[in-house]
Amino acid sequence: MSGIEETIISFLKLTMLSMVPFVLASLGTMLGGRTGVYNVAQEGMMLVGASVGFLVGYLTENLFLGMLFAMLTGALFGLLLAYFTTTLKMDQFVVGLALFFAGIGISTLLPKKVIGITLTPPMIPTLQDIPVPLLSKIPFIGEIFFNQNALVYTSILVSIALWYFLFKTNLGLQLRSVGENPKAADSLGVNVVRMRYITTILGGVLIGLAGAYLPMVYTGTFTDGMVKGRGWLAIALTFFGGFSPLPILFGSMFFAGIEVLAYKVQIGGTGIPYQFLLMLPYVMTLIIMIFTYSRARVPAFLGQNYDREKRTL
Amino acid sequence: MNILKRALPYLGAAVVAFLVAGIFIALMGYDPIKAYATIFGTSFKTPYGFIQTILKWIPLTLQALAFTIPFATGKYNIGGEGQMIAGAIGATAAGILLADLPIYFLLPLEILAGIIAGALWGLVPAYLLFQFKINEILTTVLFNFIAFNLIDYVATGPWSDPTAGHPTTIAVGEGGFLPNILTSQPLNAGVLIALAVAVGVYIYTNRTVSGYELVATGANPKASRAHGINTRVQFLLALVLGAAVAGLSGAIEVAGTHHRLIEGLQSNFLLLGLIIGLIAAGNNMAVPFVAFFIAILEVGARAMQRTMQIPVEMVFIVEALLLIFILLSNVVRRRKA
Repeated sequence: MSGIEETIISFLKLTMLSMVPFVLASLGTMLGGRTGVYNVAQEGMMLVGASVGFLVGYLTENLFLGMLFAMLTGALFGLLLAYFTTTLKMDQFVVGLALFFAGIGISTLLPKKVIGITLTPPMIPTLQDIPVPLLSKIPFIGEIFFNQNALVYTSILVSIALWYFLFKTNLGLQLRSVGENPKAADSLGVNVVRMRYITTILGGVLIGLAGAYLPMVYTGTFTDGMVKGRGWLAIALTFFGGFSPLPILFGSMFFAGIEVLAYKVQIGGTGIPYQFLLMLPYVMTLIIMIFTYSRARVPAFLGQNYDREKRTL
Repeated sequence: MNILKRALPYLGAAVVAFLVAGIFIALMGYDPIKAYATIFGTSFKTPYGFIQTILKWIPLTLQALAFTIPFATGKYNIGGEGQMIAGAIGATAAGILLADLPIYFLLPLEILAGIIAGALWGLVPAYLLFQFKINEILTTVLFNFIAFNLIDYVATGPWSDPTAGHPTTIAVGEGGFLPNILTSQPLNAGVLIALAVAVGVYIYTNRTVSGYELVATGANPKASRAHGINTRVQFLLALVLGAAVAGLSGAIEVAGTHHRLIEGLQSNFLLLGLIIGLIAAGNNMAVPFVAFFIAILEVGARAMQRTMQIPVEMVFIVEALLLIFILLSNVVRRRKA
């Protein structure tokens, strides 16, 4: 294999690996958004997912349990978001910001309390690659797509499943109608409140898992603020993706590609101060926003609370 | 009586929040009564503790105003931290490049550089909203992350002080130090600037025509447009104004507290500013008072960490609970009405 080919394979493989937190967190954002719940707590929820996932993984020496608890914590945050916004009809942004604060506090507090301050950071083993039989032997593509950790496969499968569910099933249509016109959905017998609870909780599950991915794949340990804006980027991605699973999947690949590129150039050493390379994902996001934002299709009722006793929406 | 009646739900919410947080503290294996005694006592036990609280109050008030000014128009500035960094960098640049100027030139230039840098940092997201209708929450946040890398570059770049052991620049010229206003305690004149800004913002938003247009835009954008207010311009203006105040907070940190640029000087001020702004429900009259209360908590929490080994993050959970319960008290009042 030539050197260039190896570089390309390694770049694309890393890109697929780095897309996972973006895919999961954006799909989680999309789910809530499709019923009108605009979540802005992703950054905090991912931090808690990372913290809890790491701690449970460390204490039980079982990464799967770590992921499970990260998902449960995400679900709890989703439940709180749904309760405060859908049942109590509090402002969605304000509640989201409050949950974001709570997430930051809890995520840094828990490891300090449970493990304490140690000289060397406590480590967990990172997720192993699981080669898919036969497919991983295909030249070029095999290494990139079929020799990855389980969550890479999961994130692709979840994207496809959600696409099918939202656009090819009747229940999916009902779900989307809640985010477009809850009054009409309600009059057709769709339970708006229940729909919003379910999507926000499931969205929380995905966002929590996205957080747990960071210590389990990148670092092997939890560090304060390790999400580094990925939660906020996930919101941007959801908008670019027009709240649709497949565009979100491809958008995540693109974002991850920029992240990996910045990392690779930094290692390679080009004389550009590394800080400017690290700005790249955020700057690129801003630039893409300028071109796509006005065209992005957004659920009509996004960010608003539904009150069935009101005559108008 | 009227004020008491209005304050009562807030007090009730605060009591419940502290009760819940107390249970949480007890569950974590600490003594909540001792913890609260430390949190509330530290600011008032010694003159030093009180001065520390005032010094914390300065950036907290300014950061909260950086949020509440755009909030009055219904827009969210979540970029106060980045704007603070930009302001600190601007002030440092002026303070180092013009280090030899005497104080009556250097100090105003330094503060002004901070304000302008902060305003420019906020202008980009504000313009993106104005021109392309891009959601300001996202763009202001993204500019924070750009600023984190920028301050790292400046603090480790050509102006860095290699002897500091932490990314830090060399000191600004002595003419760029905010003078102390007390002889016995390290209280700098930044407190007077912050006070003036807080009063000024209140007068602007509540007592002037231009400020009224700002508030009207947030209260009812449709009606405001119908009455000839250009709401898009109001959004832009409010966001840039907020960013300028955040930039000022960065300049004061440099000129008053550190006398140099230190990486991490923005730490947590954005979140605390948001909490203050939201607890005050955007009321600019209430902001300085809520900020003082949060400053007490913050100074007390550091003391609590030193004496009781309770992680300082605990107070963050207390603050988040405080916010949630105060919001809940609004819901309860709405139900009753």
